[in-house]
Amino acid sequence: MFGEEELVKIHKERATQISYILTAAFGLILARLWYLQVYKGETLHNYSIQNRLRKEVVWAPRGLIYSRDDQLLVDNIPRFDAILTPQFLIDKEETLGKLAGILGTDSASIDAIMKKNSNQARYRPIIIKKNISFEELAQIETQNADLPGVSVDTFISREYRDKEVGAHLLGYISEISQTQLPKLRERDKTEYRLGDFIGQFGIEEQLDNYLRGENGHEFVEVDARGRRKRYINTDNLFKGIEDEKPLSGMNVKLTIDRDMQLAAYKALEGRVGGVIAIDVNSGEVLSMVSRPSFDPSQFSRGLSPEYWRSLVGNKFHPLRDRNIQEHFSPGSTFKAFSAIAAFEQGEIDEHTEVSCSGSFRLGRKVYHCWKRGGHGNVSLVRALRESCNIYFQKIANRMDIDVIANYAKSFGLGSRTGISLPREVSGLIPTKEWKKKRFGQEWQAGETLSVSIGQSYVLTSTIQLATSFAAIANGGKIYRPYVVKDIFDSEGELVKTFTPEVLSKVEIKNPKTLKFVREGLYQVMNHPKGTAFMRRGQGIMMAGKTGTSQVRSASADKIYQRCTDMEYESRHHGVYVGFAPYDNPKVAAAVIVEHGCSGSAVATPVVEAVITEYMKKYQPEMYLKNLEKDKVIRDNWVRSLRAEKEKPVEAEETDE
Amino acid sequence: MNQTFLQFLKRYDFSFLGSMLAIFLVGILNLYSSTHADTHGLNELYKSQIGWFLFSAMVAIAVSFIHPKTFERFAYLGYFITLFLVLLVLLMGKVGMGAQRWLVIGPIRMQPSEFMKIGLVLAMARYFTKVYPEKQLGFKDLIIPGLLMGIPTVMVVIQPDLGTGLLLLFIFCMMIFYKRLKWKTIATLGVIGMVSGVLMYNFGLREYQKKRIHTFIDPYEDAKGSGYNAIQSEIAIGSGRLFGKGFKNSSQASLNYLPENHTDFVFAIFNEEHGFFGSVFLVILYLVFFMRLIWLASSVQRFFDSVMIIGIMSIFFWHSFINMAMVSGLLPIVGIPLPLMSYGGSSLLTFGIGVGMATSVSNTRNFFN
Repeated sequence: MFGEEELVKIHKERATQISYILTAAFGLILARLWYLQVYKGETLHNYSIQNRLRKEVVWAPRGLIYSRDDQLLVDNIPRFDAILTPQFLIDKEETLGKLAGILGTDSASIDAIMKKNSNQARYRPIIIKKNISFEELAQIETQNADLPGVSVDTFISREYRDKEVGAHLLGYISEISQTQLPKLRERDKTEYRLGDFIGQFGIEEQLDNYLRGENGHEFVEVDARGRRKRYINTDNLFKGIEDEKPLSGMNVKLTIDRDMQLAAYKALEGRVGGVIAIDVNSGEVLSMVSRPSFDPSQFSRGLSPEYWRSLVGNKFHPLRDRNIQEHFSPGSTFKAFSAIAAFEQGEIDEHTEVSCSGSFRLGRKVYHCWKRGGHGNVSLVRALRESCNIYFQKIANRMDIDVIANYAKSFGLGSRTGISLPREVSGLIPTKEWKKKRFGQEWQAGETLSVSIGQSYVLTSTIQLATSFAAIANGGKIYRPYVVKDIFDSEGELVKTFTPEVLSKVEIKNPKTLKFVREGLYQVMNHPKGTAFMRRGQGIMMAGKTGTSQVRSASADKIYQRCTDMEYESRHHGVYVGFAPYDNPKVAAAVIVEHGCSGSAVATPVVEAVITEYMKKYQPEMYLKNLEKDKVIRDNWVRSLRAEKEKPVEAEETDE
Repeated sequence: MNQTFLQFLKRYDFSFLGSMLAIFLVGILNLYSSTHADTHGLNELYKSQIGWFLFSAMVAIAVSFIHPKTFERFAYLGYFITLFLVLLVLLMGKVGMGAQRWLVIGPIRMQPSEFMKIGLVLAMARYFTKVYPEKQLGFKDLIIPGLLMGIPTVMVVIQPDLGTGLLLLFIFCMMIFYKRLKWKTIATLGVIGMVSGVLMYNFGLREYQKKRIHTFIDPYEDAKGSGYNAIQSEIAIGSGRLFGKGFKNSSQASLNYLPENHTDFVFAIFNEEHGFFGSVFLVILYLVFFMRLIWLASSVQRFFDSVMIIGIMSIFFWHSFINMAMVSGLLPIVGIPLPLMSYGGSSLLTFGIGVGMATSVSNTRNFFN
């Protein structure tokens, strides 16, 4: 046996051999360095000095976005920056003077820009003027020889044709930030780099992988005066190095109609809110607009701090999408679902009458109808038409909240519709279990009364309202709303196409249920006593429901206070949702006008404008026929007014 | 008390910590120089590198107070813990940079394959000490050590991290060479290695790994331009000539001709800025450090310590050699950092642990002799 020390000793030979191996290995490295730095040093040094070959990224053109009727919505437009590289200046005074002349400024201000960037290396170009005109571009290019150090940087700007219109839907692109980089790399398994542009909102974000394309690279030679030229492969050293063309992004065709977008945007002029229109028989989103809005083009080339401040500082939050990212109490529009629940459960039929005296006491609390004197004896159709609170509250008082909730949920309220856009909110339909979990309290009977008229805990978004009313119109089919129709590659080949998807079908046992609810909704618009008769539009034959969403619950003395006299933040939201035409539904639309006070006067006209645009463009024959029907309704109304020999009363514009 | 402390300081072996500091100082200046002009935030990297160095130095000092017998006692445990972590990374499939190398626990991102190298060294040193320590190794004696190396190697290659896999293999080779592998066996293994290398290339490599080898064999023939890195690296080194362009004056690197100039290609920047003389100086710094480790390995009393020191030496030697060779165009480009010069926390920490272990062995020798 060996002792420990002997063991070490008998291995000493190998240790010595290892030290020889190391010496040889590093000797080899040094020999190689000698070869490169001394033997070939001069040659390689010249390469690094004179032949500034650089590998530069060639940005892939991002895919374009079209409307359903093939109108271009989002485009890429080349823009130019004038840049200056201090290292290549020969006569600074002269060059700055000439450049100032071209750019319409003076040498001193260019010098100031240079001073501001004087801490960076002299070979790094400085941007003197962003987004120069074609004229300025042409002058710089033609006087290139007299302007050593000056050149033009080209970049592609993402331009949104209608600027603010539908900005929330289209979204925007911007540079990946330092904090986003690791997360996005993880998420997409893609080697993003700082400086890469990526969709950050809306369609641009959702379809980023299709739109983005793949960047290429090219080799660019920069000569001793800082001018770039495409590298031409003549040099033996760089034999075999080749450019790689970028792969264009894919083009996208939306389900959105541009004219409806413009009409919707115009209808929301001066309002804070959102409107969405959906094809009743497919779930295609035809229009989706939110106001106030922002100009997405501003994001694609670094936001100016002023513009960013104006967006963030705006108390109406222009960056927020009112259609899918915001929820609110649906107000009386919810009565349609209370009605369906009661009818299906057999609590009511079309003849059931309930007396409305203007108020209704339950326990210690008194519930009021919006009409001070009450409606008298009302049936379902009339209750919907005139939006009688007491009718629905008395019926609801006989029912279980979970039953009402189930019907509302089966129409898709209180959960995400599944539209493929980021950050959709879910809304809320309260149940006994929910309340127990959320507050640890039992459900109160009075709360059922509030829920039945769409107040208290109920929260929905416009997209949910439009989807659910589309289901009332089409017999109960819940479609997944979608905004993208087709995706094409840059050669125009169809890559992917999206088709309607029925998520579920509401089970309606009683065939009369939908018939009488629809009749009620029809009369809201087309019966002289209907809450929105005065805003019924022409040629669209709409059925719908107005609503006001209480922002703050009103104390008893304020119930009848005029909404417009209240402070802005306390005013009700105006809500409207409807579908058209009544007898052959094609389109459903919902709108919220925040703090708009009235459903009928403020919200209804927005939907009316969007649907009118749809009918004229897509159903011109129906539109003409409807105009005639409208004429009959109007004539009858005028005749009845004359018969009563009364002055026409001012239409009532609140419905609660 | 004071007396004993002075006595202690006199006997404490500062040579390894000193080498570590010396190379790091060169490295941090070089890192600063190669990234100072970056506008995307890389110019701040040197700060976190200094932070990592201070932490690693503290770890080194802490480890130096552990008695080498403790390393021996816990050698297998250490090996299996690191092996488990490597397996965990593989199973969790956390993908970072296209390969699953990172283990993320809250804010901490670990690269267990770094620590696997030390785990392997410990386990092999322990095995060789206990089993026929005096015997010359033949084929049969390689089965168990081969498994100790083979299992983690396969795991990291699957990740896929071919570079670290090869490193484990090379560390293994140097250790069995030290443990007196018979020359006849070395020759036979050489032949087997060649054959399996060819097979590996044809069936076992991913496309991008093959591409790198192609690029190495003829960088000028690569149509897609991936030979670009190799060529730019050579231009950077060559343009430094005898005396270099000077601190912060690397044009190749600063103009982004060279990608990853703060990690794998730091050596090229150093050469560009400090020329051939600078490189000789740096290479000698590394060589002195390695030679002192080899000297220590043959002057300790305990055989375990000796084998372990050779293992630690080979970890850092292979890193340094492969990195320098690939940057200067002697080897294909695989992602292996240059110890103490390249940016990266895990690599610094491994170095610190290694230095601590060497110091511990050296101190034990001083104190009890």
